[in-house]
Amino acid sequence: HDGDGNESMSKKYSRDFLLKFSDLPDSFEIASDIAEVLMSAQIYASDHVDRDSY
Amino acid sequence: SSKIPTAVTQQPHPLEHSWTFWFDNPSGKSKQATWGSSMRSIYTFATVEEFWSLYNNTHHPSKLAVGADFYCFKHKIEPKWEDPVCSNGGKWTVIFSKGKSDTCWLYTLLALIGEQFEHGDEICGAVVNVRGRQEKVSLWTKNAANEAAQVSIGEQWKKLLDYNETIGFIFHEDAKHDKAPKNRYTV
Repeated sequence: HDGDGNESMSKKYSRDFLLKFSDLPDSFEIASDIAEVLMSAQIYASDHVDRDSY
Repeated sequence: SSKIPTAVTQQPHPLEHSWTFWFDNPSGKSKQATWGSSMRSIYTFATVEEFWSLYNNTHHPSKLAVGADFYCFKHKIEPKWEDPVCSNGGKWTVIFSKGKSDTCWLYTLLALIGEQFEHGDEICGAVVNVRGRQEKVSLWTKNAANEAAQVSIGEQWKKLLDYNETIGFIFHEDAKHDKAPKNRYTV
């Protein structure tokens, strides 16, 4: 497609605008999978190799 | 064309870029593990609505385990020094005490997906590193040598976060060779 006109303009959203959507109904089907991944992390700090310490 | 049923009746708000969340799971690491080997991409999103669905269903930094690295990078840019887009880049970092980075992380994400940076093309993504005593939020950029762009990004970021301490910019190239790389720029 060419001649998109305004479509090529950057889609900028201010923080205040974005925050208006923060209470959207929870309709995300893989949310539980993501939550599981992000919740599965236990504390293994002693084994943890931090790249920053190289 | 397929229509995905959703409770939201409004048209979704597309973002300028698609973004991918990545997570490095500390439980998968051992002393022998190569850095990045347990890193996995979680999900790629392209609308405001998808972002909130993800954000509202994932842990915020204060609730993540010590050792966790949580990334949000532009789609197709891997959050690694080795990625061709990142290899000549660097990062700005802000440091918070334990449990205090949640607001900074959210505001950083909103600034990224909302394209609030004047030099937005320079940005690769952001990461929060949860450590025992502190949480670090870093903004990765592409062309470390482009001082004007990096300084502009650093200054804008501090304003967006209302962060008053001095922050430093480190070249990835320096970090590869030096345990304690020096700041090349500060704002």
